[in-house]
Amino acid sequence: MVMPNRRGFLAGFMAASLIPRPTWADVGAPAYLSAGALADGSYVLCGLTGRLEVLFQIPLPDRGHAAAAHPKRPEAVAFARRPGTFAVVIDCATGEPTAWMEAPQGRHFYGHGTFSADGRLLYTTENDFDAGEGRIGVWDATAGYRRVGEFASGGIGPHDIKRLPERDTLVVANGGIDTHPDTGRSKLNLATMRPNLSYIEAGTIINAVELNPDAHKNSIRHLAVGRKGEVAFGMQWQGEAAPSSLVGIHSMGQTPQLLECPPDDLRNMQGYIGSIAVSDDGASIAVTSPRGGLVHIYGAASGTLAAVHAAADVSGVAAHPDGFAVTTGMGDLLTIGETRISRRASGPIIWDNHLVAI
Amino acid sequence: MRHMLFTILATVAPVTGFAEQDPRVAHIVQDHILPRFETLADASDTLANSARAECTATSDALRAAYFDAFDAWVSASHLRFGPTEIENRAFALAFWPDSRGATPKGLRQIISARDPVAMSASDYQEVSIAARGFYALEYLLFDEGIRALGDETYRCTLTQTITADIAAMSHAIEDDWRTDYAAQLLSPSGDGHYRSDDEALQELLKALSAGLQFTGDTRIGRPLGSFTKPRPKRAEAWRSGRSARHVALSLQSLNELSRMLAGTDEGLSRKLGEEFTRASTQLTGLNDPVFASITEPRGRLRLEVVQQSVGRIRTLVREALGPALGVAAGFNSMDGD
Repeated sequence: MVMPNRRGFLAGFMAASLIPRPTWADVGAPAYLSAGALADGSYVLCGLTGRLEVLFQIPLPDRGHAAAAHPKRPEAVAFARRPGTFAVVIDCATGEPTAWMEAPQGRHFYGHGTFSADGRLLYTTENDFDAGEGRIGVWDATAGYRRVGEFASGGIGPHDIKRLPERDTLVVANGGIDTHPDTGRSKLNLATMRPNLSYIEAGTIINAVELNPDAHKNSIRHLAVGRKGEVAFGMQWQGEAAPSSLVGIHSMGQTPQLLECPPDDLRNMQGYIGSIAVSDDGASIAVTSPRGGLVHIYGAASGTLAAVHAAADVSGVAAHPDGFAVTTGMGDLLTIGETRISRRASGPIIWDNHLVAI
Repeated sequence: MRHMLFTILATVAPVTGFAEQDPRVAHIVQDHILPRFETLADASDTLANSARAECTATSDALRAAYFDAFDAWVSASHLRFGPTEIENRAFALAFWPDSRGATPKGLRQIISARDPVAMSASDYQEVSIAARGFYALEYLLFDEGIRALGDETYRCTLTQTITADIAAMSHAIEDDWRTDYAAQLLSPSGDGHYRSDDEALQELLKALSAGLQFTGDTRIGRPLGSFTKPRPKRAEAWRSGRSARHVALSLQSLNELSRMLAGTDEGLSRKLGEEFTRASTQLTGLNDPVFASITEPRGRLRLEVVQQSVGRIRTLVREALGPALGVAAGFNSMDGD
């Protein structure tokens, strides 16, 4: 692993005090980030415009999962797919990696991370196998992404992590599934899993919610946060009989609400939500199922299924001025408006699980 | 075949219609799934009877019955849907991998406290699933620490109870298959567990893929550990010398299932057979029942080669068998993240 050259970094800081630092506008103001794969089997991180055109394309050393965009600087953190042990910080202006983060000994990343409101700290979800609990790693984005601390995630198998708007409250999806770092993906505790949603401020869990005991095999996996701090969560069902729901919403301190879906539509999602997003106006929630090749749109106020759209191997989803933008493993980039799904572009890059709004 | 199919429909399923059936599902239910759970139930009965007759850990008859019943479970262990998942039966029969040593910990607590829960198989259903099933029994029969713990009479009773519990669960699985679940797979319906033959075939394909993943990543991957730190003591059932045997048995079962899924596509069936034979031959060539040789670079490399062969089968299943069954091999849909 190449560590950033320390002198180069210091020089960078000196220069930064003299000239204006680049912003996202300087790299063409991408609206989204997504990891993907090229036909030759190599992996990339891409910036996309609001019209879903590829703005830049930066090589990644391995298959990516999600990315985190720095709130101010044109800097993206690309996470290796679980159970990866590295994350790479990329300067989106130059396309160069500027820092590497390696998970501490015995840990692995789960593929998601988020920045503090001021962009000084990066938080990553990690597995501490020996202790049998999830951890949140803290990295100093002002000092070459040095590891500066960590705290408990509030459960086993933390996957997605987001920050509530305008404040430094983190929300973590503790999926509840214990995996061993050697194999990383073998599930060890399905019989006893207990997923939860944990809210954390300054390293302390201030609120944690579990679903009803009969839903204990519904692994809370992916999160989306609305403007008012409402948290939408997508689940992956590990049980035998059908789940009652795969999507829920929650506001800190309150009781979670599972969204209603007719049984046949629910079954078509094959127990698996790949990604979730809340629309800009907060009125709709979109979830994707790559296994079912479907997007479900729920009304946030009604809590019921409002529309179903088909797209093969669809996974990435994010809010878009039209409604939602979605990406697929077939290379399609689409938008979902009031009533219909429209293909905006199709290209040689096949898109990985998550489309991240900047 | 026609005749057998008719028999099974007549015995397990009220025939509700004459919809065109995919012959592969019936073939797999009749000739792959039901015989396996029948063998498991029979072998578990023999195991429980052996323990009742002679319960000392060194009893040849008991150990032989343990080997046979464990073989039967491993040969069915990829069929993780429906009856095996009710009340966590599969986990309670086979709690492995046990990364934190919950099985020996649970057994030590029960034996040290002379917990009366071991007096009856029905009470024993209440203990931690880690202290039930084949892996718990392996400790009682083969682990020196557990075999020296507490008093022999209590351990004897515990052995009898655990084997009776295994037999009860195995019968429950077989009964559910015969009285309900075979019909569910064979007769998809709008409000049934499977709505179409496609969904039934997808379930079977998923069992094949998950079985290959478990054998490659876990049965082989766990002992491999990392290059600098191989972990032979993480191999499955090494105490009773069964690690490589489990890989071999699972490959045999998965081979059969994959060929039945390939159906009349003879080219694909032959290709699958060749890949499975390659993996099995490499495994036999290791001649290393508990993967002890992986601490040496040469031995490790040879087990890695077996793992790679399992990986090739997975690729073939994903890229050829899946599409042949109408299941697209998506970049995201097969990812599971």
